[in-house]
Amino acid sequence: MSTQLWALAVAGTVVLAAACLEALRSRRARRLTVGAVAAPASDPYILYFTGDGCTVCRTHQEPALAKLGAVRIDKVDAISDRTLADRFNVYTLPTTVVMSAAGQALHVNYGYATAPKLERQLAEARGARMQAATA
Amino acid sequence: MSSQVVDHSALKVNQTGIVVTVLVAFIGSAFYKPLLVLIPLLAIVLLVGTFAPQLALFKQFYFKVLKPRGIVKPRPVQDRPEPHNFAQGLGGVFLAVASVFLLPLPVVGLALALLVAVLAFVNLAFGYCLGCQIYFQLGKRGLIRASS
Repeated sequence: MSTQLWALAVAGTVVLAAACLEALRSRRARRLTVGAVAAPASDPYILYFTGDGCTVCRTHQEPALAKLGAVRIDKVDAISDRTLADRFNVYTLPTTVVMSAAGQALHVNYGYATAPKLERQLAEARGARMQAATA
Repeated sequence: MSSQVVDHSALKVNQTGIVVTVLVAFIGSAFYKPLLVLIPLLAIVLLVGTFAPQLALFKQFYFKVLKPRGIVKPRPVQDRPEPHNFAQGLGGVFLAVASVFLLPLPVVGLALALLVAVLAFVNLAFGYCLGCQIYFQLGKRGLIRASS
């Protein structure tokens, strides 16, 4: 039985380390891309990295993006537009980046991001914009 | 784009088969050690199924038994089968490595097998396929002929 427990501990540690790495990667990408990228827009928007071979993009991510309503979504082919994909350290598809109206990357989501999560991030982006405007 | 139709229910049945087999081997081996043999057997099933899809045990179980009887409904999706096959093969390779470790270092062997089961479960439950992402990365770097 102790063999099983040790194996569980080892596998759990690896999964935990992968989760931490993922969080770190996301934070690093956000820091690296602040102030980068795009022309100012009137509202926060989403950069959506996808590719031909990405099934989850079609089956999960695109329906989630469709639920967001009137939000600008810039679709980027991560294979053909490698410069932009590399700038955001896109290592998995789909990847969604919530951009502020000023063109700053505020949230980087590697893998499928649910509609409520994106809505929350967009609301934060709009809130930050309002605060900046009133300050 | 060379998209074909892939029945995602077959993939889900395959992932379920992997998770269940590893769990039976993992929990069962605590009480009856010979059940560990399920891990090398699963490695063989996955590897054989990668190179000869008509011999993929879980998928064939779906196509020959579950689907015709309406137990599992088909879910055809415009998709490419290569990333999924690659992911299955990768799972098979990891299970083969796990099998090598099972006798000298059972903790390592079981941990590797558990990781394969965790990844299969993540794919089953959340649609995140690590093997497909590795396939995408290799394609991006031109190491394999992936999505163009």
